[in-house]
Amino acid sequence: MVEDDNSSAFKPRKLMVKVLKATVKGVMFFVVYYVCWQFLTSFATIIPGLQQAVQIFVGVYISLIIVGEITAGTIYQYFFGVANDLFVISYLIFSLNGGTFSMMYQNVGLQVDVHLFLIIAMMLSFVGLSKTILQAIGFVSKKAEIV
Amino acid sequence: MDVPIKMIDFAIAVCWIFLIMFFATAAYSVKDLGLNFGNPRIGRTTDGKTVVSLPVTITNNGYYSIDSFNFTTKVQGNDGSTITEGSTLIPTIGVGNKVSIIDNMTLDLDSLLQSNRELLSNDTQLNIVENVGMVIGEVIPVHASGNATVHWGAPFYNLKLEEPQYSMLNYTHMKVIVPISFDNHASFDVIGEAEIRMYNSTNQLIGFGQSTIDALQQSHYDGRVELDVGISSITQTGRFELDFQTSLFSSGSMVIPYG
Repeated sequence: MVEDDNSSAFKPRKLMVKVLKATVKGVMFFVVYYVCWQFLTSFATIIPGLQQAVQIFVGVYISLIIVGEITAGTIYQYFFGVANDLFVISYLIFSLNGGTFSMMYQNVGLQVDVHLFLIIAMMLSFVGLSKTILQAIGFVSKKAEIV
Repeated sequence: MDVPIKMIDFAIAVCWIFLIMFFATAAYSVKDLGLNFGNPRIGRTTDGKTVVSLPVTITNNGYYSIDSFNFTTKVQGNDGSTITEGSTLIPTIGVGNKVSIIDNMTLDLDSLLQSNRELLSNDTQLNIVENVGMVIGEVIPVHASGNATVHWGAPFYNLKLEEPQYSMLNYTHMKVIVPISFDNHASFDVIGEAEIRMYNSTNQLIGFGQSTIDALQQSHYDGRVELDVGISSITQTGRFELDFQTSLFSSGSMVIPYG
């Protein structure tokens, strides 16, 4: 593992700070999810499996944020960052059925064309992915300069 | 490199917030769209066709205007064949606006009853397929479809010709009185002429009679048709051919044997 500071005396303290930061970030994200979910509860009764799908997404996303935060300052942080972006892209494609969202509610079939949302969301995720890759390249370059 | 990265992070976060906000509010707009149906009305066109008018009120209580609102109603028979369909397009429904439309479906009752003769005397259920298409916030196409059934009431339900009553007119002819009864289960009045032709067992036309009928919707009708028949041509068995000519349709011949 490539680290910023190899001083062993600071390692437990630094790790504690990282864990604390990861916990705070995770809790903050969960609070945001919890508040947003209050506005979406009415849809949960209409769209079957919505709550489960959102919970899985939030669970995986928070886990990757926490792991990414704990590995901050190492090259693995960027691996998890890339994993996070790829997860968002693939999850959106699968959950939105490739851009056409269909559901049945009380004998009424509803079809919503969310191609535009999917395209913009994927573009944003790809920008995020590119940014993470750039950060990783910058990180490795810095290390090379130090060596 | 940190500052540009942070700027990209910030820009991405702002874009995500806008994107999610827009689509969340668009979803709420679909939820707050009110669609109310009035009682269907039946009218007639100048070329004698029947028009079923369905009043629909659309209330846009959402956050965005609705464009290209297309409302299509299709009535199908039991075999899936299309009996009639109507379509109405509203270019734009602004935020907070209430729009009332009348979805007209032209129905050629005459050809419908000619091709589906069982509808004359049998009540049944017809399928109604409703399709609604719209574009919310100018970028999200939404399509909804639903099925329902509507009761078809037969205009000549339980049509019966009672036992003919015979009375002498003169030495050569008899008067034959044929009592007719049926229940008009339809949602329209049956007003017109009933014609009866009487054939003997050798398929010879032996009598013809006409009568005016006036059967209000959802009511029982009792009437009779009188025929003058030559005594020599009457046989023990034979058939009556019954035709109804109404303002909405003609029934075509219905064959009812006697004897």
